[in-house]
Amino acid sequence: MIVVVGLSHRTAPIHVRERLALPADTVPELLRTIVTGPIGEALIVSTCNRVELVVAGTEGARSNLTEVALAATAAIVSRAPGVEGHLYAHTGAEAVRHLFRVAASLDSLVLGEPQILGQLKDAYDLARDTGTAAGVLNRVIPRAIRSAKRVRSETTIGVGQVSVPTVAVDLTRQIFRDLSRHTVALVGSGEMGEGVARLLRQAGARLIVVGRNMERVAHLAQAMGGEGRSLAELDKTLVEADVIVTTTSAPGYIIDAKEVQKHRKARKGRNLFFIDLAVPRDVDPAVGELDSVFLYNVDDLSNVVAESLQSRQREAERAEAIVVEETESYERWAEAEQVTPTIVALRERIRAILESEVDRSLGGKLKHLGPNDREALMVMMEAALNKMLHPATAGLRRLATDPTSRGELEQAVSALHFLFELSTTHDASPHDSDPQASMVDLRDDDAALSLTSDAAGRTESPGSTKAGLPGRMGR
Amino acid sequence: MIATLIVVAFYVGVVAYSAAATLFFVELARPERTPGAPRWAARALAVGVAMELLPIAVDLSDASEVPSIKFALMLCSMSIAVGYLVLRVRMRIDAIGVVVAPLSLALLVGAQFLTARGPATDFPHTLLLMHVAANVLGVGFFLLAGAAGGFYLFQERRLKAKRAPSMQGRLPPLEALDMTEHRLLLAGFPLLTFGIVSGAVFAARLGSMTSAGLARSAFAYATWLLVAGVLILRAVAGWRGRRSAYGTLAGVVCVVLVVGIYVVAGGGGL
Repeated sequence: MIVVVGLSHRTAPIHVRERLALPADTVPELLRTIVTGPIGEALIVSTCNRVELVVAGTEGARSNLTEVALAATAAIVSRAPGVEGHLYAHTGAEAVRHLFRVAASLDSLVLGEPQILGQLKDAYDLARDTGTAAGVLNRVIPRAIRSAKRVRSETTIGVGQVSVPTVAVDLTRQIFRDLSRHTVALVGSGEMGEGVARLLRQAGARLIVVGRNMERVAHLAQAMGGEGRSLAELDKTLVEADVIVTTTSAPGYIIDAKEVQKHRKARKGRNLFFIDLAVPRDVDPAVGELDSVFLYNVDDLSNVVAESLQSRQREAERAEAIVVEETESYERWAEAEQVTPTIVALRERIRAILESEVDRSLGGKLKHLGPNDREALMVMMEAALNKMLHPATAGLRRLATDPTSRGELEQAVSALHFLFELSTTHDASPHDSDPQASMVDLRDDDAALSLTSDAAGRTESPGSTKAGLPGRMGR
Repeated sequence: MIATLIVVAFYVGVVAYSAAATLFFVELARPERTPGAPRWAARALAVGVAMELLPIAVDLSDASEVPSIKFALMLCSMSIAVGYLVLRVRMRIDAIGVVVAPLSLALLVGAQFLTARGPATDFPHTLLLMHVAANVLGVGFFLLAGAAGGFYLFQERRLKAKRAPSMQGRLPPLEALDMTEHRLLLAGFPLLTFGIVSGAVFAARLGSMTSAGLARSAFAYATWLLVAGVLILRAVAGWRGRRSAYGTLAGVVCVVLVVGIYVVAGGGGL
């Protein structure tokens, strides 16, 4: 099982998060440093809103999670002393659920934002390249990514824009096909207006900055790669520009319907989009009634944002249900996997005995059998093996997925090991480092029987083990 | 052998157009845009077009017959799909596929029930073919332009109503819809002009005209006037967007009436 230790926008203000900010090129070395002592695997999710260390113990499911959590905490604190009070730690099933929620963007500052999934994938790729993601992380991270994809495809949690500037740009794109063929005018200066204008400029639009203070206008125009104009040239701008972002501090309207109507012929009927971000408003609301003219003010844009957020909030409940389902599915899968080494060992043992006997017979009394008969004999042996092992396999898996049968499971595994003299040579599992193999659903008997796996007879429950950590640890 | 191939092509065409219609609809109804769906829908539409080529080619090769309404409707179905596929390469008009695919499908299927041919004439076969092809292509382009105009009005109303842009995001931008509509009108107008002029010449040579023929001609002239008006006002007075869309839709109504009268009353050449 895994441990997640870290801090996020929920527990730490930005000046604390800044102290843990990790330049991308330092992460591989840091990962190698962290993987020591009880920590066998590590991955770092580092974004502007969170820094989390996802780790697994050196002994897989038998690891002491408290010890692992303390080591992970120490690794973080040694890098940024004083952040202890902002750290949280999740272990076992709780850590898996947290990771799945993070991947699904349910723990993000902006609910449903898509970047976190990409950031998790990048973090995983980096950990694999560095060699710090192996058996446990190779199982849990792909499941977290799959769960997040399911959330995105089965809910509308990621639909709609959730900030005023992005909504404004989104609306602009619904009016104009190719922004590189259009001109945007920024009238006045204001943080939000500049944000919108900058996004539109980045999309390829030509930019005109209009204002009273020419010095400031020229400075802003240069900084944003646009052309500066005085407010006296507003008429000319109304003819040229297709998107007009207003953000002045004028006490009344600076653009009215008559003025816009006056330029209609010169504009040859082109659509005109006003984004009025000023309070009090710069554009007369009657402008929005004109043909081919669209007007959105701060309230309109905020309403669109609020609608999107409300919609996301409603979808979050459905997303949480999916995460719970996926977490439980993962836990069942991980628990069932505990008995896979025993099943594999049992199968190999019995097959070895049968093959030895068949070989002896084929060399003696059955020497006369032709190739077809020999092949039929082998097929029969394989079928008998499957039928013989089916009750034992099904019984072990049933016990493994039932938390109340932990004692019975241990007894059954011990009995099988004793009765069939099973070896424990499967501890080093080849598929541990192969995420594709780890994604095979081991509840499928045939698939399970075709794999080799790690330590037989794990004894520690995969349930949560709270680390006795300082500060906000253990939530 | 050819007859069997035509039947097979018909069924494959129906499946392809149905698949395209379904994929376009699913894409529009989905909460998030999926780039793959419209691409596959367009491919299915292209398969449908390919399936219509054989029966159209067979009809074209038969120089002894006046083109049938079946031929005309299939050509119309194909021209709508081809026009859309060509414009789709440059414009973000995936959503219009929701109209195009079912329309092409309806025309293809409808064509199977209409086999009436025009009255025997001594007009040159090539000229008749050009007359029919021009009218049918023009009708196809106008129907497509009407779809673009309809989408324009829908999208514009949503933007004016200031609703959350959940569905708007998958509709084409207003500018793309307006340009699509304009280009289709520009392409269809000369064809319609040729069709009307050649139709007038044929009508004059045939002599008397039925009341259905007269009504059809009247609506064809009305279409021509409306489309000409839309194009001229756009160039001279900058009538774009909503006004242009209303004018186009009025023209499309006339076109639908022309086709409707033709289908109901039958024969006579478009």
